[in-house]
Amino acid sequence: MLRYIALRGLLALLVAFTVSLAAFFLLNVATDPAQAIAGEDAPPEVVESIRARYGLDRPLPVRYADWLGGVMTGDFGESYYWHKPVATLVADRADETITLALSALAVTILIAIPLGALAALNPNSWIDRFALGVAVSAQAVPNFWLGLIVIILFAVTFPIFPVSGDDTWRHFVLPAFVLGASSVPAVMRLTRTGLIEVMGADYIRTARAKGFRGWPLLRRHALRNALLPVISVLAVQLGQKFGGSVITESIFAINGLGRLALESILGADIPTVQMLIFVFAIVFVAMNLLADILNAALDPRIRIG
Amino acid sequence: MLTVRMRSLCAATMLTLATSVAPAFAGKSDDTLRVAMAEEILNLDYNYTTKREYIILAQLTDATLFNINPQTAEVEPSVAKSYEFVDDTTLDVVLRDDVTFHDGSKLTAEDVAYTYNWINSPDSESNANGVVERWLDNAEVTGPNTVRFHLKSVYPLVLRDMGARIMLRKAGSYDANGEIDRDAMASDLIGAGPYKVVSFEPGTELVLERYDGYFGDKPEISKIVVRNLPDIGTQQAELMSGGVDWMFKVPLDLAESLGATPMAEHLSGPDLRVGFLVLDAAGYTDEDGPLTNVLVRRAINHALNTPEMAKFLIGGSAEAIHTACHPAQFGCDQSVTAYPYDPDKARALLAEAGYENGFPLELWAYRDKAASEAIASDLKAVGIDVNLRYVKLQSLNQARAQREIPAYFGTWGSGGTADTAAIARIHFSDSDRNLSGDAELEKTVLAAEQTNDPAERKALYSEALGHIADQAYWAPLFSYSANYLVSPDLDFPLDPDGLPRLQNAHWK
Amino acid sequence: MTDIDATFAAADAADETATLTPGQVFRRRMFGHTGFLIGAGLIALIALVAIFAPLLAPHDPFAQSLSTRMLPPAWVDGGTWDHIFGTDQNGRDYLSRLIYGTRVSITIGIGAATIGLLIGVTLGVLAGYFGGWVDHGISFLLTAQLALPGLLLAMALVFIIGPSIWVVIGIVGVLHWTYYLVVTRSATQRIRNLDFVAAAAASGANPRQIIWHEILPNLFSSIIVIFTFELGIAILAESSLSFLGVGIQPPTPSWGLMIAEGKQAMFYRPWLVILPGVCLFLLVIGANLMGDGLRDITSPEGRNE
Repeated sequence: MLRYIALRGLLALLVAFTVSLAAFFLLNVATDPAQAIAGEDAPPEVVESIRARYGLDRPLPVRYADWLGGVMTGDFGESYYWHKPVATLVADRADETITLALSALAVTILIAIPLGALAALNPNSWIDRFALGVAVSAQAVPNFWLGLIVIILFAVTFPIFPVSGDDTWRHFVLPAFVLGASSVPAVMRLTRTGLIEVMGADYIRTARAKGFRGWPLLRRHALRNALLPVISVLAVQLGQKFGGSVITESIFAINGLGRLALESILGADIPTVQMLIFVFAIVFVAMNLLADILNAALDPRIRIG
Repeated sequence: MLTVRMRSLCAATMLTLATSVAPAFAGKSDDTLRVAMAEEILNLDYNYTTKREYIILAQLTDATLFNINPQTAEVEPSVAKSYEFVDDTTLDVVLRDDVTFHDGSKLTAEDVAYTYNWINSPDSESNANGVVERWLDNAEVTGPNTVRFHLKSVYPLVLRDMGARIMLRKAGSYDANGEIDRDAMASDLIGAGPYKVVSFEPGTELVLERYDGYFGDKPEISKIVVRNLPDIGTQQAELMSGGVDWMFKVPLDLAESLGATPMAEHLSGPDLRVGFLVLDAAGYTDEDGPLTNVLVRRAINHALNTPEMAKFLIGGSAEAIHTACHPAQFGCDQSVTAYPYDPDKARALLAEAGYENGFPLELWAYRDKAASEAIASDLKAVGIDVNLRYVKLQSLNQARAQREIPAYFGTWGSGGTADTAAIARIHFSDSDRNLSGDAELEKTVLAAEQTNDPAERKALYSEALGHIADQAYWAPLFSYSANYLVSPDLDFPLDPDGLPRLQNAHWK
Repeated sequence: MTDIDATFAAADAADETATLTPGQVFRRRMFGHTGFLIGAGLIALIALVAIFAPLLAPHDPFAQSLSTRMLPPAWVDGGTWDHIFGTDQNGRDYLSRLIYGTRVSITIGIGAATIGLLIGVTLGVLAGYFGGWVDHGISFLLTAQLALPGLLLAMALVFIIGPSIWVVIGIVGVLHWTYYLVVTRSATQRIRNLDFVAAAAASGANPRQIIWHEILPNLFSSIIVIFTFELGIAILAESSLSFLGVGIQPPTPSWGLMIAEGKQAMFYRPWLVILPGVCLFLLVIGANLMGDGLRDITSPEGRNE
């Protein structure tokens, strides 16, 4: 087990380095970081002096090796734009994104699991069809558009929540809904199929015979088993929330990692991009690993060697 | 039309309600001007920054040797009481004796000489270094209130550069105890301007307070708070709920919609920024490409309906231009050849050049998407098959440095300097922005900087601009206007150079 | 990515299949499946709009008229019936742009889903068939791909190659092959161990022949199902990239780009954002319903409940 985790951790690092190498060269080909730092009306001599000051006039492999050397000693460098150590910057912004990702996950769970359970208990009823409708619609709505629409609806036409920002919990309601909605179809369908499968199992029939009906039956016997696979999918979805935060955070002006990622890519802030890729890759792999472990721990049939 | 207005009013009211949970500040009642800026403010030392937001702040916190009067574009004394050119390359400056820094200490000749020599030294790595190093040899203290500047060469814009670029610092600010600290003034700034820094949280909020020891005219508003609100929608909501009194760089449509409500006032002022197409006349991208043909370049000039773009897309005081400079700039001769909008003539010129079926053209742009599309559309209308590449500025500059750009929609603000030098030099001398490949033109442009005689400079610029127009190296488009949304309580005077001066604001 | 393996059914009529020919079963299932009919209908309708765009559009979608820019829709005061949905920021007819937008979306959907198919199926079959190091290598590629910010890749590629609809198709295709890979890999692993493959191998067929003649035909129906889903996913991906400014370039009428352009004025002119979003929603929901339906129809037991 430990060996497995170590291997996966190694894989995560390998992925992070590969991706960061690719990102480093892509960004340098596509943009001129010195110009991004200097701004629109900067005279060429200023741009040149910035290039020299940040060492951007050195060959790309040298600069990458330099960065890599820093990372090996735990130094991710300083942001071109913020003039702060990138690690500090990322640490400062992480809590907003974690809050957003967790509340989005809560939204997913609150919508998807009850809806999936109701649909499974009443197959082919109106509620089943409604659940299907929700799943299909949620899959078809562009995330960024849903964001704009809920702003128009719930912040402007019916001013219930603030337009944007991240000061209070009220600011997180709309973004969490938007980000959470994207995971609803997957989780709901899985809950529904899982439950339908479990309800047909022998031990449920036994429980039924013992007189269990409705909610008690669901709670004491069916739900627990049906939700095992859902839990591991939720872990994967949580990993995806971090990547999904890019658009949501930008639309709602939340100062988290997603927005930082977008801004640093568009602004050619290479050290920041590099570290964020690291963080995202590791979170992604970690969540997948967590899903695997949960699967193994909860399902006695699977053994990880 | 009235109903449209009512609708937007309703929308605006609702928006206010949406944000009304935040404590509503009224700027006037606590004499605090709350300013929204989209660009994050990270460093308060303009000697180490370049962007426009920082110029605006430097106007508040810092003092310079000279001031450039925005109305007359004349150089006026500031910390310097008077000046005298001993010879072409020696400048004597006499300082006022009543200037104090925000920590109460007196500004001395040593401070001035230190600031200039520091920025001039390569060790400073200052963003102003490139500007100063061009002309300054060294600054020398010649008396308690006098400084002598030894120049490397004749340079007519010395006083302007001094006024615009070099913020005065106390001696030893950046290398106290022999240790270099370039960020020494980045957040705990000690300047000599009308406002002093009270608190500063980079990327979030800056609080300024009127400095009572300021030597010049004291501003009326006692406190200025700069808030970083990166999203224009957030700024808008905050303005309507009273959390912000002033926002700038407002897109025209938004400014007009919100300005029509009683919650905000839309101000539109002139701006020295101009927009233009730069055409690869030198053939860097394609040696025998169509753009190397002057007839094609003239056709492009004729094809663009610039008055309509200025009126509908830029708005305010924006106007079509036909010169490679802003009409308000010194030396910007308006008598040069103009190419009025005439698509038929454009087609005829293209046919004459042998391109009756048009040609493919990659047009790069980085701002004002609607205007970029309008340009592409006008060019398509005369048969040029435009492929618009709308990218980030740093991507455009990267491609231009690699000589991969045949034509781009550029804009230039001249750093607020009302002199043709501020736009001609960078675009028509040794720089990758110069796609004319015209060595003679470069000589003329540089010659205009090697003389102090205004009449001679004017003549040289007329010659250069006339040549640019005849050869149609550019297709000049329009001047810009600066759109602001301000609280109805605020009186905010606009200056012709387009630089917002918050120190001149006052309550109604 | 494994979210679409559960199924829903509205109607039910799959018991007497034993007495019917496969073709009859297929047809009966198809016409008995409401979701499929709605989805296919929507797709067909939008495809027709795309094909007959020049006949349907009241104006040239590229013809600008700056003096009549930002007109509201006909039913709002100030609007005219000449421009039913009003005009955009350059005075171009919004309805005509929406109509031509179908061409962009459909071309990109089909193109990108095809590219994804080619990459994903190739890698999936290779990984599934050969296993071992090939499988490890491809899994690594998969993890790296999932961790790479698509935005960055898109930005760099658009910059390097220059923007065109084909580049966007390439980018979206390259970003969306993982689902094909996951499904074909496990299916290939399963098929590979079946008797008929072993028999083919024993009779001297080389791996190429086995893959082409024994494995791929058996993957066909699941590939078609994934293709339909990926169509919707690719269309959403293009709209997100265009929304962020690194997809389709102006003045091409792309719905994502139109939403981005309308965003600035959305409090005052919400239709600029709402209309293209609704179009996107209809197209993607059509693709998803069709995909759901196809899976039900092609799965051996009719629906896997």
